[in-house]
Amino acid sequence: MIQDFLIKLKKREEFDQSLDISPYAKMMGFRLTRAQSELTTVMKFNADLVGSPFPPALHGGTIASLLEMAALMQLIWTIDMTDNRQPFPKTIDITIDYLRSGKPVDTYARAKVFRRGRRFATLHSEAWQIDQKKPIAAAMLHFQMID
Amino acid sequence: MFLIPHARRLGLRLLGKEGDNLMIEMPFNPELEVTAGGGIIANGAITAFLDTALGAAAYDQFETYKKIVTLDLRVDYFEKPEAFSSVIVKTRCLKITEQAVFVQGDAFSKDEITPIAHAVAVFSYEAMTTSVDDTLKRLDGISSGDAG
Repeated sequence: MIQDFLIKLKKREEFDQSLDISPYAKMMGFRLTRAQSELTTVMKFNADLVGSPFPPALHGGTIASLLEMAALMQLIWTIDMTDNRQPFPKTIDITIDYLRSGKPVDTYARAKVFRRGRRFATLHSEAWQIDQKKPIAAAMLHFQMID
Repeated sequence: MFLIPHARRLGLRLLGKEGDNLMIEMPFNPELEVTAGGGIIANGAITAFLDTALGAAAYDQFETYKKIVTLDLRVDYFEKPEAFSSVIVKTRCLKITEQAVFVQGDAFSKDEITPIAHAVAVFSYEAMTTSVDDTLKRLDGISSGDAG
């Protein structure tokens, strides 16, 4: 389902698309955007994403979730989605470093495929808010590419 | 039960405590599904749940109120959760130092023997600057979730 969704988007140079096709992504306010050939996953701020009320800061778990979504989107975007034999990647693990507290604003994440093997893929994902040079969190992830 | 807005959003509830170990439940909710009607809770929700549960375990170690901040979190996903089932996390505090609390936890879905995910986290802590009563009062203004 997500593959079909991305295949349609792949033809477009620029888009800003809601990920409402997944109930959880909808709940989190995730959007997928593309500009200058860069794929970015966005988490629109809402009060339910708060983890610590005073001063208001994003819940660490929501940032982890965004980092994982960005990595998964980048990975599916990169692999040949038209190949039906290619199973949906499974997350094996994620290791998150929390670098700065997340402010109550929109958060962006972008991932890079470090290595893509036959069985596994390794990705690095980074999240930022106002200044991309000041990431609020980063993660390393492994995905399993075959069943 | 949980003051944290996102924990309320996930519907988390404390089931009980065995010594230092907390048992927390995330009931099944269609809003947490990866695909509508599939019954499988998204990985992201499980990660956020584990982050909260381990943070709660760290928080629980102190007599006085502390502000708990996650330094790092590692989650291993062993298998998909059982469809339409709630997820339960059991936590264990490994060590408290002057600056950090080391915690781990397992997530269960179909039974309480085979974990579906495992997490390890390190939290830093500091004295809380606002009282819990004060936080509760102000929380009513910020969260749209129901008070647990």
